[in-house]
Amino acid sequence: MIPVPIHHYLVVGAILFVLGLIGFLTRRNLIVLFLSAEMMLQGVTINLVAFARYRGNLQGQSFTLFILTVAACEAAIALALILLLYKRRHSLDVSLWQELREADQEPTLDEEPLPPAPREEPSPRLLPAGVEPTHPREPSHV
Amino acid sequence: MTPLFGAVFDWAGLGPILPPLVIGAGSIYLLLPRPRPYPKLWGALLGGLALLLAGVFIVRTGIVHPETILFYAFSAIAIIAGTLLITQHNPARAALSFALVVLSTCGLYLLLAAPFLMAATTIIYAGAIIVTFLFVLMLAQQEGRSNADDRSREPLLATLTGFILLGALLYVLDLSYGTSATSPATREIDTLLADTHQRLNEARAVSGQGSREELAHVIKASEDLLPRYLAALHKPQVRWLDLPDLAAQIDRMSLSWPSVAEPPRDAAEQAAELQRLRKAVADLTPDLYKLAEIGEEARKRLGEQLACLQPRGDRIERYSNLSGPSPAVELTELRRDEQGRPQLPTENSAYLGRSLFTDYLLPVELGGTLLLVATVGAIAIAQRRTYPERPL
Repeated sequence: MIPVPIHHYLVVGAILFVLGLIGFLTRRNLIVLFLSAEMMLQGVTINLVAFARYRGNLQGQSFTLFILTVAACEAAIALALILLLYKRRHSLDVSLWQELREADQEPTLDEEPLPPAPREEPSPRLLPAGVEPTHPREPSHV
Repeated sequence: MTPLFGAVFDWAGLGPILPPLVIGAGSIYLLLPRPRPYPKLWGALLGGLALLLAGVFIVRTGIVHPETILFYAFSAIAIIAGTLLITQHNPARAALSFALVVLSTCGLYLLLAAPFLMAATTIIYAGAIIVTFLFVLMLAQQEGRSNADDRSREPLLATLTGFILLGALLYVLDLSYGTSATSPATREIDTLLADTHQRLNEARAVSGQGSREELAHVIKASEDLLPRYLAALHKPQVRWLDLPDLAAQIDRMSLSWPSVAEPPRDAAEQAAELQRLRKAVADLTPDLYKLAEIGEEARKRLGEQLACLQPRGDRIERYSNLSGPSPAVELTELRRDEQGRPQLPTENSAYLGRSLFTDYLLPVELGGTLLLVATVGAIAIAQRRTYPERPL
């Protein structure tokens, strides 16, 4: 009796893929978008390795290594691009780039204003040290 | 035809999948960042409930084995960290949850007998890529609240899309790999087959010498087999199996069941009826045999279609044996360990290297070139240039 049948791994892979998809569709931070895409890749690799395990060969594992390679390239290029975009707009928000859409698309506007940021507690400061006590100055004989 | 395209949707198959899906979608919707967020507690409670229900309904497993417990632990951590990744306001924390996703995925790799991949993924993802991410985050971090972190685009629609996709995936997995509890068509044909074989055995036992009651019992019990077979073969769930030819064979079998009414009073008539019944049962035996054959054939086709891992004989062999048994080898011919899984070599990295440098030599070269090009590209992109400042 096999302790964990193959479709359990496939279910976990599917859930990770879908979580990544939702993150990619909803989040607006460029870096979180990218992390979500990487999570989708993780879901796919779980599928590949599970198939390799239950088919008794190493082809799925080899393919996962190539996915790793491509993910590393992707990370290098994407992070360089993200830095470039940040330099231009000083924000990681994707919606600032919505003019790249097709011409007839309605721009999305944020209607609800963001609540003000919670005021940070001022960092504690050292109290000034006490006044130097008076003490008779000894005449120096040097 | 494949099960995916021929599958007929029915709500009964979706029954166990639906509750965790709906609750999970609700949890993600509540947890996604928005300017005025809902209380975290509700989303977290719903998410925990969905995870529990998914564990009970979808990936249920009857045996408690260390591997099962590890599997549950790793996948639960992966899913929880994945949810945290997409619902965190702070991108640095999101990157750390991604590291957690990667590490628990590595645990799953280890369970799947891939230690080299485990090590490589830990080093490359959890080491290199996450650290690069954190660097970029530090370079591009913003003070206070920002539109990027505290708003979501269309949380409701995106959650619906994602969970409808997940439902479709789980449904197809259920159709393809479902055990008897989740694949009604297989279970039905299995019971039919068992019944047919039982009737066949009974008929063989009583043919020629059975008493009147035994004979009558066999005939009565066999009467409903034919309509049950026809109903099972005409089910919408198995319509894609090309079963009509089997159904036509059953239609051609004109079984005439002798009437088993009240026993006649007269002794001579009783003897005549006994003879008649015995002859009927003897005639019945080949028909039952034929029915069992048809049932076996239907079960075989169902099994062939459902086991998506089954190899096709006509596939061209492109790979050597160096990556393990080729896809053309029948599943039944694989060497298996004592738990029933195909055996993999113990020296994982050595065999993986052998596979990479024989079967996948060209892809390895291409991967290296890709890395080189990516390095050059990243340096070219990230060069310091001056841009005209553009106000927001």
